[in-house]
Amino acid sequence: MKVKILQWHAVGSWTWDAQDETCGICRMAFDGCCPDCKFPGDDCPLIWGVCNHAYHLHCILKWVNSQNSTPHCPMCRREWQFKA
Amino acid sequence: MAMLCDPEALDSLSEDAIAGILQYWAHFCDLTDSLLSQNVPSCGLDSQLGPTIATLCDHGLASLLQDHFLQSLEEAFKKSAVKKFWQQFHSYCDASAIEKANFHEQDNWPEEILSKSLKEICSEKRSQENCLLVLVENLKSFEDRIAKRESEIEHPSSQLMSRYQLMASSVLLTTLPWDFPDILRIYFKKKLEELNSMIADGDSYELEINIHDSQNDADFYHMDTSMCGCNGLVMQIGKVVSDLRSLGFTSMAEDAYSFAIFLLLKSKVNELAGDDYRVPVLWSLKKWIRAVPLQFLHDLLGYLGDSIEYEKESLNVKSPLASQPSSFPGIGIPSEALVRWQLRLEYFAYETLQDLRIGKLFEIIVDYPDSSPAIEDLKRCLEYTGQHSKLVDSFISSLKYRLLTAGASTNDILHQYVSTIKALRTIDPAGVFLEAVGEPIRDYLRGRKDTIKCIVTMLTDGTGGNSGGSGNAGDSLLEELNRDAENQDGADFEEDGGTDEKQAWLNAERWEPDPVEADPLKGSRNRRKIDILELMVGIIGSKDQLVNEYRVMLAEKLLNKSDYDIDSEIRTLELLKIHFGESSMQKCEIMLNDLIDSKRTNANIKATLGKAAAPGSEQREMNISLDILDATIISSNFWPPIQEEELNIPSSVNQLLSDYAKRFHEIKTPRKLMWKKNLGTVKLELQFEDRSMRFTVSPVHAAIIMQFQEKPSWSSKILAAEIGMPADTLNRRISFWISKGILTESAGREPDDPSFTIVDSMADLNKNGLASEGCQLMEEESERSVASVEEQLIKEMTVFEKFIMGLLTNYGTATLDKIHNTLKMFCISEPTYDKSLHQLQSFLSDLISEEKIEMRDGLYSLKK
Ligand SMILES: [Zn+2]
Ligand SMILES: [Zn+2]
Ligand SMILES: [Zn+2]
Repeated sequence: MKVKILQWHAVGSWTWDAQDETCGICRMAFDGCCPDCKFPGDDCPLIWGVCNHAYHLHCILKWVNSQNSTPHCPMCRREWQFKA
Repeated sequence: MAMLCDPEALDSLSEDAIAGILQYWAHFCDLTDSLLSQNVPSCGLDSQLGPTIATLCDHGLASLLQDHFLQSLEEAFKKSAVKKFWQQFHSYCDASAIEKANFHEQDNWPEEILSKSLKEICSEKRSQENCLLVLVENLKSFEDRIAKRESEIEHPSSQLMSRYQLMASSVLLTTLPWDFPDILRIYFKKKLEELNSMIADGDSYELEINIHDSQNDADFYHMDTSMCGCNGLVMQIGKVVSDLRSLGFTSMAEDAYSFAIFLLLKSKVNELAGDDYRVPVLWSLKKWIRAVPLQFLHDLLGYLGDSIEYEKESLNVKSPLASQPSSFPGIGIPSEALVRWQLRLEYFAYETLQDLRIGKLFEIIVDYPDSSPAIEDLKRCLEYTGQHSKLVDSFISSLKYRLLTAGASTNDILHQYVSTIKALRTIDPAGVFLEAVGEPIRDYLRGRKDTIKCIVTMLTDGTGGNSGGSGNAGDSLLEELNRDAENQDGADFEEDGGTDEKQAWLNAERWEPDPVEADPLKGSRNRRKIDILELMVGIIGSKDQLVNEYRVMLAEKLLNKSDYDIDSEIRTLELLKIHFGESSMQKCEIMLNDLIDSKRTNANIKATLGKAAAPGSEQREMNISLDILDATIISSNFWPPIQEEELNIPSSVNQLLSDYAKRFHEIKTPRKLMWKKNLGTVKLELQFEDRSMRFTVSPVHAAIIMQFQEKPSWSSKILAAEIGMPADTLNRRISFWISKGILTESAGREPDDPSFTIVDSMADLNKNGLASEGCQLMEEESERSVASVEEQLIKEMTVFEKFIMGLLTNYGTATLDKIHNTLKMFCISEPTYDKSLHQLQSFLSDLISEEKIEMRDGLYSLKK
């Protein structure tokens, strides 16, 4: 007997694969989305700083824009710079 | 002969005079006897009687001779007429019940005997009356003479006739056989049935219905004053009634024909109503009442000459109960008696039909909406009789007896409940009775474990149960509710944004009287007050629980899709959003969005990876290309907990999966794809030498069967190790292939280690008793991919189990409410108790089935 596979419809889940589970700013799961977004994933991406701390892009942008002086990482207080 | 003398009058007389008077008296007695025996007053007697009477009266013996005369009449009447009359009925009255039944069957019984004997006794009585008239005449002429002399004198003779009538009827009544009223009833019953079938045969009644189907009441009271064929019959009946009346049996006769009329009406209601609920009967019933019993009564009263007033339409007699004007254009103003009759008959018809329909309400509701004419009839009957409580009591008891039993499926109960809601809101727009009727159903459903699931399925899935019959087959209840709402909105477009006052004004503007037969499908405004969805949510407890259950069912459905076709799920979600709000449905929306994203990503990955795969690569050799692989990639945070199982899938497929995941990572950096290898669907073809078979299975089944390519026979333990799952799980899952006749199980070397062998040829397959086509596409009932709401709940509730056990140890017993409230009070921080009463109840019933606790009379306690 031989088995011929006609179709294999697999199921998987995606993850940002960040070290932490939740965003340090909004406290929501990284694999979820920030409070302003409706859909996770492409619509609400993560961003890493040079300090290797990750946030929802929307969360850190709001944070950065709210700072009068040079913005710092909310977690480690180092100057915030987007990791390339 | 009793000689009663007036002593004062006689005292003053001489003996001679007394002898003379006695002579006159004897002569009078003789004359009386011969008058009565002849039965015909003759001139000779008359001339002798005059002077005799005058003389006796002169001596003040007027009252004496009247008494004597009446007494003689009475004796004669008793002796001949009355005796003869009752004798006619003796053979019936003395008969046994069975013999009586034989009488009833005879065509002309009691008609013949009744009219004959009535005729006889009445003529006898009439001749007696004539004799009496002779006496009255003579007395009158004497009294007139006296009156000329003395101004004031009584005329006792004028009372004589009524004294006679009273005597005659009391003689008859005191000798009346017990059965006589029954005989009369049977007579009228037979005659009315004859009349009814004459009218029906004459088609005049049917014809009328067709002509007057305009449903206009004005044409309705069409009464023929001369009903050709029936008139003779009515005259016959009228003759009997008038004879009975003349014998003093007026009320007995009326009782008898009333009885017969109501009996006929009752059987007419039964005949018209029957077990067909698809046609309205009230209208034809009212028509029939006018065409038969009322027409009969009209003719009868006309014949008897005591009722109908042919007046111009000056007084408009309105019946207090009927909404229609009760004028009878054919005959002018109906007599008051006829109007009373109409009210009595109609009330009786309404009540009889109502009782009939209430008795069958359960069946009627099963048939709803096909049975809406019956419901509409019932509504009108109840409006008339006001006996709504009858409906509630009777329906609740039939629910308990017929529906709320262990044998009925939750689905059946729910569908009947929905039909009940739909049907009863026609009768009861405010929902008062529905509340009472629905309560036992709701209570019962709350005690069933699959209620939520069934409700959600009914609401969202059109393919499963019957959605109540209305609308398109395959419609979900939600779809149907939505369509109803849209139709309503279309009809009431002015309502948008209107204030109450404005609305009232608009309503007034648009007002038109209700048609006699309202279309049941066109709902009146206030019917919308009853919200079916709200009632469904009411059973479940909260909309969150409903949404949660839906999410689990949706996840199951989506994870078992082998394509990305989610049109119907999107439609359902849109409907759910309308009712439960967008934010409640957020997670479900993300799940659907995952499918849309997956489809896009899948195409993207396959397009780019297909190019990247260089010719002669590994997959080519394995004879598997990327074409066969599709994937659903989920945002697991928003899905219900997924059942994960260890599984080693065949390396060729595994290679494809890791290529796919790698490509995903390249496209979506830094996102990674993690496979849930036990989930998904696999379509495969098993190719044997002489045949091939197609199956759609889970990855586990695919992995199992693919192992048999390498080796035709496996022991359970080795195969389990190869696939990477526990042996007992394998043994359970492999039974699928055994049931399809692909594998056979045989005892292995060790007792707990059976071996499985592929059934290679058709011959072997047939030996196993399973016929098979060359190519088969089969759907297996897959194991669930998603943890059910119940399983999730048990997981979440387990932390409270210890607390509950401790509580029961302390209290001894506690009600559901008490446990609930205590948990709420004490479990306020990690883990917080946030479950509903219903969820707690469900968890407690799990503990009961685990025999940890028990429940009696609503009190929970530790299992002893
Ligand atoms: Zn955030
Ligand atoms: Zn966002
Ligand atoms: Zn940092």
